[in-house]
Parts: sequence; C-alpha cells; structure tokens
Amino acid sequence: MKKPDDIANMMSRRTALLGLGGATIFSVLASRLYYLQVTRAEDYKVLSDKNRFNFNTVMPERGQILDRFGIPLATNKQDFRLVLVPERVKNVDVALERINRILPLSEPTRKRIRKDIRKKAKFIPVLIGEHIDWPIFSKLNINLPDLPGVIPIEGQGRHYPHNGVFAHVLGYVGKPNPAALKQDKDTLLRQPTFRMGKTGIEQSHDKNLRGSAGLKKVEVNAVGRTVREWDSDKIPATSGNDVWLTLDSELQTYAAALFGEESGGAAVIDVATGELRTLLSMPTFDGNQFVLGLTNKQFKELDTDPRRPQFNKVIGGGYPPASTFKMSVMLAALEHKVITPEEKIFCTGKLHLGNRDFHCWRRKGHGLMNMHNALKNSCDVYFYEVIQRLGMDKVKPFAEKIGLGQTYKLGLGGQTKGVVPDPDWKKTRLGNSWRTGDALNASIGQGFVLSTPLQLAVMAARIANGKNAVSPFIVVGEEIPTPEPLDINPEHLLLVQEAMHAVCEVPGGTAYRPDGLGIPGVEMAGKTGTGQVRGISAAERLTGVLKNTVLPWKLRDHSIFVGYAPYDNPRFAACVLVEHGGSGAKLAADMCRKILGRALERDGVSGTGEPVVLGDN
Amino acid sequence: MSHHATNRTLFGKLVDINWLLPVLILLIGSIGIATIYSATGGGWNLGAKQHFVRLMVGMLFMLLIALTDIRVWYAMAYPGFICALILLVGVELVGVSVNGAQRWLDLGFVRIQPSELMKLAAVLALARFYHDLPHWRVSKPVGIIGALIIVFIPVALILHQPDLGTSIMLAATGVTIIFLAGINWRVIISSVIMAAIAVPLFFAYGLKEYQRARILTFLDPERDPTGASYHIIQSKIALGSGGVSGKGFMQGTQAALKYVPENRTDFIFTVIGEEFGLIGGLSTMALYILIIGVCFWLAGSIKQVFSRLLIMGLAVTFSLYVLINLAMVMGLAPVVGVPLPLISYGGTVMMTVLAGFGIILSAHLYREIELPRGSGLLL
Repeated sequence: MKKPDDIANMMSRRTALLGLGGATIFSVLASRLYYLQVTRAEDYKVLSDKNRFNFNTVMPERGQILDRFGIPLATNKQDFRLVLVPERVKNVDVALERINRILPLSEPTRKRIRKDIRKKAKFIPVLIGEHIDWPIFSKLNINLPDLPGVIPIEGQGRHYPHNGVFAHVLGYVGKPNPAALKQDKDTLLRQPTFRMGKTGIEQSHDKNLRGSAGLKKVEVNAVGRTVREWDSDKIPATSGNDVWLTLDSELQTYAAALFGEESGGAAVIDVATGELRTLLSMPTFDGNQFVLGLTNKQFKELDTDPRRPQFNKVIGGGYPPASTFKMSVMLAALEHKVITPEEKIFCTGKLHLGNRDFHCWRRKGHGLMNMHNALKNSCDVYFYEVIQRLGMDKVKPFAEKIGLGQTYKLGLGGQTKGVVPDPDWKKTRLGNSWRTGDALNASIGQGFVLSTPLQLAVMAARIANGKNAVSPFIVVGEEIPTPEPLDINPEHLLLVQEAMHAVCEVPGGTAYRPDGLGIPGVEMAGKTGTGQVRGISAAERLTGVLKNTVLPWKLRDHSIFVGYAPYDNPRFAACVLVEHGGSGAKLAADMCRKILGRALERDGVSGTGEPVVLGDN
Repeated sequence: MSHHATNRTLFGKLVDINWLLPVLILLIGSIGIATIYSATGGGWNLGAKQHFVRLMVGMLFMLLIALTDIRVWYAMAYPGFICALILLVGVELVGVSVNGAQRWLDLGFVRIQPSELMKLAAVLALARFYHDLPHWRVSKPVGIIGALIIVFIPVALILHQPDLGTSIMLAATGVTIIFLAGINWRVIISSVIMAAIAVPLFFAYGLKEYQRARILTFLDPERDPTGASYHIIQSKIALGSGGVSGKGFMQGTQAALKYVPENRTDFIFTVIGEEFGLIGGLSTMALYILIIGVCFWLAGSIKQVFSRLLIMGLAVTFSLYVLINLAMVMGLAPVVGVPLPLISYGGTVMMTVLAGFGIILSAHLYREIELPRGSGLLL
C-alpha cells in the first residue's frame, strides 16, 4: 500500500503531465490564432469586406432626345419598380405570395419571374414589377421588413410626349434581347431595369444615350439589408448624352394634325443645309405603349390597322412618284436636247402605242403644249412623246442626281432605296427586256418607279437649291459631308423652277390657288402627283374612269405634292404624300402649302405660328 | 494546523482566501461586459448590464461558497450527486425543450439546467469516491466500475437530451480525475484501444443527425457553406479580418452586422479577435491560462485527495470550457455549443463556473482540515 506522500507525488506527476497536455493544446490554439490573424489575415479581410459590402449598380439616366429648340421628344419619367434578389430570398413562392397581397401578380408574371430567377445568377436582381402606382409602391415600402430580398426602386422610365408624332423617328426602348446581350458586354444591359433602344434614334444612338453605370458601395448586414451607403466610394453614374434633332416639334405636330386620320408621310427639309424640320409618318403609334408593354389588344390594333401605323412610310414606303417624276424627265430631255423648250406637242388625251392606248390624266387632252405648260398642266402625253425620243436610261442619272433611288445617312433604320428603272434594271431584276410601254409609264412616274416621300422632298430641295445636292440629316452635331455639286445645267434648272412656280402661282397650274401660300408676298413652286395604285382597264375607260370617292380606300390614288418656298429665295422644300388620298392637286397640295407656310412663319419669314396640339380632333 | 483553520474569524477567513483568483475572474468578467456591449452594437441594456449584474451576484455567491466549510461540501458530495441525477431524469420526463434540446427543468419559480449542476456534482462525487477508496483499489474492478458509474450515467443522460458539448466535457473531466487518481497505465492503454473501437460505433449510432452533421461539417467545412459550416466560416472571417491589432473597439463589422451568429454567446471570442486582433485574443487566452495555472498551483499545495481532486476536477471543467470554445471558434473543433466561461452572455454557465471557483477557494481555504476516509456511501 502506498503512503500518502507517494500518492501526492503521483498526483503531482500526473498533474504536471496534464498541465503539459493543456499547454500543448493552448499552444495549438495560439498558433491557430496566429495563422488566422496573421498568415491568412489578408484573405479574411477581403472576405470580410465581401461580406460587408455590396456594389450596387447605379443606373445612369438615359439622355433625352430634343428637337431643334430643346423641346424634349423623348424624356424620362419617375417610375416605381420592384426587384427581388434571389439569393436573399429563402422561399421564392412564399415571397411572391407576400408581394401578391400588396401588388397583385398574375400567374404569367410569376412564371416569368421564376424563369428569370432560374436563368440568372442568384445575386442579380430580378424584376417583379414596374410602373407601379404610388399608393401600392408606398405600401410595399412600409411592408419591406416582411419582404426580405425585395428592393423597391425609384427609377426612371422612358416617356414620349407629343402623342406619338415622333414615334417613327424616335423609335422606342425595351428590354435587351438575348442577341443584344450576347453582342454587348456592358454590365448595364444585365440590370433588370435597363432599357435599350429598339428602333429609330433610340436604337441608332443607343450607345450615346445610354450613359455608363455607376457603382454604389453599400454596407449590408447578414440578411442583406443595407446598413449604410459609402458615399466616399461611390462611382456616380454618367448620364447619357442628349441627342438633339433638327426637327421642329411644333411644325411636325402641325403637319400631323393636318393628316388627321389620313395615312401617309411628310418631310420638310432645309433647302440650304438638308436639315429635316419634319419627318412624319402617319398614322403613328404611342411609343409609351411599347415601353409599358403592349397589351394584346393594343398589339392587335396596331397589327391589323390597314393604315399600318408601325410602318415608317416617309422613309420606308416606296410609292409611285407619279407626275412629280416629270422634272427628272424634263432635265434629261433638256440636257440631251431631244426637245427644245419651245417645241410644242399636241395632246389628244391619249397616245396609241402598239395595241394599247396610253392616256393623259385629262381625257379630252391638253392641245398644244410646250415644255413649260406641259409641266404646269402635268400633261402626260407630252412626256410620253419625250421619253420615246430620250430613253429611260438617260433619265435615270438625272433622277438619281436629284435624290431618287437612294438612301441617305440618316441614322434611321427602315429606309428603302425605291426604284428608278431602266432597261438594265429590268433585265437584272425581272429578267425580261424593257419595252416602250415601260418607258411611257415610267415617264409619268408610274409603273416600276418607286420613291419615298423623303426622296421626293430631297428632290424638291435640290431643284430649289440649284447648286448643291443637299442630303437630309436629322441629328444635330453629326458630321455632315459637304454636299456634292448638283452638276445640272442651271439654265435647265431655271426652266424647271419656272414651270413648278407656274404650277402653284399661275392660273391653270394644277395646284394654283388664288391666295398662293397664304403669306402675302411669298410665292412657292411645286408639283402635283396622283399615284395610281390600280390598273384601269379599257372597259372601264369606255364607261368612264371611276371616281376615287366611289372606290374602296385601298384602291384610291395616292395624293402627292412636292414643293418649296419662297420661290425667289428658297428656304424649305417639302413633300406630302397621302396614301389613297385622291388627286395630288387637292389634298396633298393643300396640306403641303400649309406646312410650308407654317415652316416659313416659324422661321421668321412672316408672322408667328399658332401652336397646334394634336389629339384635339 | 487544523486548530488554526477552524478558529479563524470571518475576517481572518476572508483574508486567507486566495484573492488572486477573484481578481482574475473579475478581469475576465469585465472583458465579457465590454465585449457583449460591443457585440450588441453598443447597447448597455442588450446584455452587458445583465452580464455585469450576474458577475457581481455570482462573485458574491462564489465568496459565500468559499467561506463555507469544506466538510459541508464533502458531506454533500453524494447527496448532491443523487439530487442532480434525479433532476436529470426529471428533465427526461418533464423537461422543457429549447431549440430542439431538452435541457431545462421548470421548477415553477426558476428554470434550471440540471446538466450544469451535474458538472459540479459529478466532480464532487468522484473526488469523494477516490477520497474514500483505498488507493490500491483504484485500478481494481470495483474502483474502475464505481468511477465509471459516477461519470457515465450522467453523461448518458445528458447526451440523450441531447447536449453533446456538456457530455464531452463531463466525460473528459471524469476521465481526467480518474487519471489523476492514479489509475494504472495498463488500464489507461487498454481503455484507449477500446475507445478507438467504440468511438466510430458511437458516431454512427449514438448521435443525432444534426450532431453528426456538425462533426462532418467540421471535418469538411465546404460541405455546406450556408448551413452548419456557416458558423465556422464566418467566425474564421471575423477572426482573420481582425489581423494583429484588430479593427478597434466597436469597429468590428462581422459581428456587428450579425454575420457571426450567436456573437454574444458561444462565438463571442470572434468579437474579441476581430476588434482587438491577435493581441487581444492572446491576452484573453493568457488570462485563462493564468486562472487555470493558479488552480493547478492551489491543488498542488493540498495533500488531501478529496480537496485536491476537487480543485483539479473543477479546474479541468473550466479549462475544457475554454479549450473547446476556442477550438470551436477557430474552426478546430465541431460547433458543440460550449460558451466561453465568464465572457459569453448567459447566466447558468456563469453561476456554474463561479460556484466551481467558490468550491475551489473553499477547498483551498480549508486545506488544513482533516477529512475522514472510508465512511463513504458506497464503501
């Protein structure tokens, strides 16, 4: 048996052993602490900051699109949105149900949200709803403590004032599609509230309008709630640049009001520079509907309207220029000396060619016509005769010189070149040979000839300018190439100008009005055109050609007018085309006179224009 | 000598108390108050005040226990153990569940945690057992089985609650006392071999799913970065980001922003490490080592088996709190829910620990008193 001292010694030994063990463990712990706090300190500091900070993207404000006077055509409006950060939400269904109690979410919306959550990284906010009413939005804000991961955003939404008068020029914005996301690596595009330009200026100048994202460093706690914002580490968003257009919003609104329910296009162009004061396609649509998301009904309405509101007719619509094409023929005839201005041709009302009659618009004929009167009265038979001497291949270069058969550097999609036909064109495009009948039709701007209202306005501008082949442009500040010289004999141009003057200002001219432009002392020049959209059979001619008023809308003639003013010192040229609007001498001529008059008034030539608000009628 | 001890006045006893220990306790407790204040974002009423009150009351209580004659504790060793055992069984039958573990017993006026009581009672009982047991029987079947009964019946009951942390602590404390009591190396070695066989079996069948998950997570923290191992990863980030000198008092972000869960209770060391860095962490550890060292030193000055094993047992319990908690916070041990004594917020553990120190001080204060032997309950 051991003595108490032995036992005490044994215990002391074992206590020492235990102490040694304890000391070892404490050393291990101390080394571990050293490892964590010294060796790995930097790594953990980074992780700690990652924990603490979120870098939230600050959305830039999209640049405005302004008219020439700075009046906003596309602007931004306060918009309330709700987003959800999936990684901060435990159960998406529960979260959506809670939101649903305040902001009703339809089943398709929920489906879309779930799809977005699946597709994107968990930390990227997913849009729940936008354009939320203020009462609902404030209610959501109050209930935020019950909605973890849900973030209300007071943002900017695109807004288009002016009732869609500029819809075709501006285009609209929408969510980036997958192709855009693939092509464009800008992080902005990945933000749920980002909208990019889809058409028009919004699209062509998107990069400029878009701006660049900023970053906001926010300190968040473990549940993701922002504790404070770090202003010192904030990279502010750079707002997009404003884009100024050459358009005069008042003038364009006035032109749109003149169209009323009619369909077509109008362009007003500065004769000296090529600036577009108006570029209008009617009827138009409301870009705001596209921003908010079209309802099925709205989409159907737009899609089934026979007047095709979404179609940008003024630059994309190819129409027979009809008699407005005669200036090209006249210039070519003078250049190639196939006829002198004095030589007279007798118009019986029709020209017989082969087994077909080619009619003049005036069935009883014009009688003896010299060149001046032929254009003034728009005698078709005169031009049938001229084109037979000339050949369409000679006309084509002149038509192109004055602006037809081409697109311009407008920065707008959807332009069409139109057609200025000649034998080569027909051979390559249609595979059969040119016939005299084709030339006859082309000489009066029918048949294969197609041009846009903008091209016709440019044509009028170049004729009026006389020296330079001005090209139209719509965005202020973009480099405009100095116009090429027009390279047409000024004497020939003068003859054309005089005849166009007679059309408007001399009694008997197809567009003569006693009070002219409506501005005392200011005269204008112009040319009417009545674009036929149907073939008129010989049988119908016998019984009398049907009046436009008795024809279905789709079959009525297009009413076209081109003109410029003032005659002696041209400022503006314009074209008005009213689809199925009947005779060009009437509707289009009247509208174009008014528009040119208003343009001159607005330019200080005379008086001040009364503002016109669209949508009153 | 015994004559001297028994005839001391109250003042004399107070003077004779080892005051180094209370001073160290007060120091560590104060660290606790400051850290809780910081962890709750500077809220005096969010825990710091309660911690202060508990520390004061607890230390008063500790001194009362210290002044109580060691023979009282000696006499109460077995009845106290039986009481604690009955309460543990009571928990099994009518206990209150908190967070999925049945640990609390509602006595109407107060809720107690019998497993905490058992930490003291088992040490007292085991010390008494070895005090009564003739030394030559320590490694004999009766000695081994008797000790195992005292240790493992409560361990089994506590494990069933389930409370893995307390079970481990109790088992480890018991084994340490058995070791100190002088059990044969032969028995020790064969036990280790048996444990090597039993532990895997225990892991497979003796643990609850979440306990197993915690251990697996500890072994492979990447298993579930948001679930169980979230604790460990976030607490390592908190410590690591503190660096050498820390972010400064009240400047911690991990804990203040609630990334570290339980930051004023089990994971409070992360706040110290984050705000005071390696310097603060090592200083805190040094204070603990000092306390434990003082206890070991006090134990070494006593020849009586009961008092000596009692002090050692309670010191080991305290050390285990510290070691397991630190290892857990630093990602070296599974998250088992052991608080950092005197610093973590929580009344029960504070009372257990301070009561333990009271008994240690008592054993030291009355070290000269001869305790009878062989008059135990069992032998």
